[in-house]
Amino acid sequence: MKLHTTLFAGAGIALALGLGDSAALAKDSGFKIMMTPKWTGFPYFEAAAKGGREAAAELGDQFVYAGADHADVSLQVETLQNFLAQKPDAIELAAIDLNAVAPVLKQALKRGITVTTFDADAAQDARDMFVNQLSYKQAAKTMLDCALLDSPRGGEIAFVAASPTAPNHTAHIKYMKEYIKDDPKYQVFKVVDTQYANDDDAKSYDVAINLMQAHPDLKVIISSSAVSAPAGARAISASGHVGKVFSTGFALPSAIKGYLKDGSEKCFALWDPEELGYLATYATHLKLAGKLDLKPGTTFEAGKAGEYTVGDGGEIVYGKALMFTKDNVDKFNF
Amino acid sequence: MIRKLPQWELTLVVLTLAAGAWSAYLSPYYLSLDQIAYSTRQFVFPGILAIGLAVVVILGEIDISLASTLAFGAVLFSKFSAFGAPIWIATPLVTAACAALGTLNGVLVARFGLPSLAVTLGTMGAFRGLAFILGSETGYTGFDDSYLYVGSEQAFGLVPVSFILFLVIALAVSVLMRRTVFGRRCYAIGLNKEASWAAGIDVARIKVMAYALAGALAGVAALVWIGQYGSARGDNADGAILFVVTAVVLGGLDINGGRGAILGVVLALFLLGTMRNGMGLANVAGPIQTIVLGGLLIVGVLRPILFQGAVRGYRFAFSRQAVASN
Repeated sequence: MKLHTTLFAGAGIALALGLGDSAALAKDSGFKIMMTPKWTGFPYFEAAAKGGREAAAELGDQFVYAGADHADVSLQVETLQNFLAQKPDAIELAAIDLNAVAPVLKQALKRGITVTTFDADAAQDARDMFVNQLSYKQAAKTMLDCALLDSPRGGEIAFVAASPTAPNHTAHIKYMKEYIKDDPKYQVFKVVDTQYANDDDAKSYDVAINLMQAHPDLKVIISSSAVSAPAGARAISASGHVGKVFSTGFALPSAIKGYLKDGSEKCFALWDPEELGYLATYATHLKLAGKLDLKPGTTFEAGKAGEYTVGDGGEIVYGKALMFTKDNVDKFNF
Repeated sequence: MIRKLPQWELTLVVLTLAAGAWSAYLSPYYLSLDQIAYSTRQFVFPGILAIGLAVVVILGEIDISLASTLAFGAVLFSKFSAFGAPIWIATPLVTAACAALGTLNGVLVARFGLPSLAVTLGTMGAFRGLAFILGSETGYTGFDDSYLYVGSEQAFGLVPVSFILFLVIALAVSVLMRRTVFGRRCYAIGLNKEASWAAGIDVARIKVMAYALAGALAGVAALVWIGQYGSARGDNADGAILFVVTAVVLGGLDINGGRGAILGVVLALFLLGTMRNGMGLANVAGPIQTIVLGGLLIVGVLRPILFQGAVRGYRFAFSRQAVASN
């Protein structure tokens, strides 16, 4: 009886205040957001989790970060399945295999869970949005800028990709070749070779050694693999090519700090995974709170990360490239 | 007369119940019929591989190429689906093709007398290479719904069809190993190869058959895989073999052959599945999960020693007590 009275009173007040409006009833915070990386323990993903946790704390959401300690797609699906059982409001992930995670993500979407991918996308119909670190063109330009720091007068360059079919790597190379052809700033370079190293440390090392032997005038080896670029630097040091050949591309600052400090390398690039995780979580929150329409062209403010625009297919490009040199590399802790 | 459940199997049942209780304590989401039934999906494909591996291990051999055979099977299914072949034609053909890969292992091991670890280490790479060549790098996802049924649907809206399939396979192989001449001969060969040969058993033929069976089961596991993940690619099930070996060893099978039962492997899978489910729901950190599962593998390997020690200790205490009471 007492409960009823309270309920009626509550409803009366709600009506009186105009809370009957559905938009106003939407929750504004306290969402449960669960994030899983490709694998845990890797400094890059730990930094992304730190950023995500920070955004969630700022917005009053609950944030959970979990996953397997190695990249295995069936374990990732198991993690996502376990997430689903915990009834979250949203799931964020960096997909290992864009298709294999699709069935479980579609199930999540069906249950009204918001799905955000970051770093590596899932099949487009299995997620709401993809927070992409850099556009292909941006990535290509950044790596060439680094190559210019290495060898200001240009010269022969070679590419190392994971495989001929790795979509991001091949796109980066395509755009780098375009820039070298069309942009006067980069026309000093001449592409002499493209090799594949499968994101494997030992293979990358061998490939770099072979490139230097095959092309005596080689100036810069460029790779968008965060494994191959540091391995290239190691090969240059080990084979006595310091100062003659440079390695550049995407790499974790922790992996290349030594080479920058001792002067054997001059520049590597990446983006800030912490802010990437922050942005992904912030955008996810806005979507949950009904404040983000994922139509192309929508702009939104993501806290301290700045303003962003939604692109085609729910893609949000983070787009802030970082270039590491001996002067700034100490500032980064991933 | 009801046969008494062997000691180790009983231990596994107790451990599984304990793990369930522990999981319920760790996470409020664990204790729900829906959730538990659905979570069984996670160990079905490695489970089917483990049943096949168990037969090979009983013979005193090993097969670490099974996950690669699965990948080959999954890619082959994608070819049949793309071609528009009905599932009831594709399944037997894929299973037969995977059995052929198993036969190749068996022939190399049994007819040429090569060490099975070396042979299957080689074919592990070769079969996966085959899967990569046959499949496309981006993976195939356009499966016809009939191909996905086994791996994705639930019977009565609760129990995954794949889990029922797993139980049927486990039961069938268990009967095969316990009640048929083939099964008896497998145990005999595992215990003493030379004596079996002297007794007139065609050791090589039995071994080839066992490898073929394990390969065929990997083909069935591939059917589960494509349903569960809706995708076929050369790297499917990469890295799954460690979990499969863990289940077999923890299940009480002697890695030297001749001892252990399929039931033990099934119970070990239940235990591993319960622990992974519970730790996953509690969002336990990945490295800790790996340590716990690795610890269980060590327990499985040390089991005979631990058990003997316990029995000896018990007997020792008992005899002293008996002496004292005299």
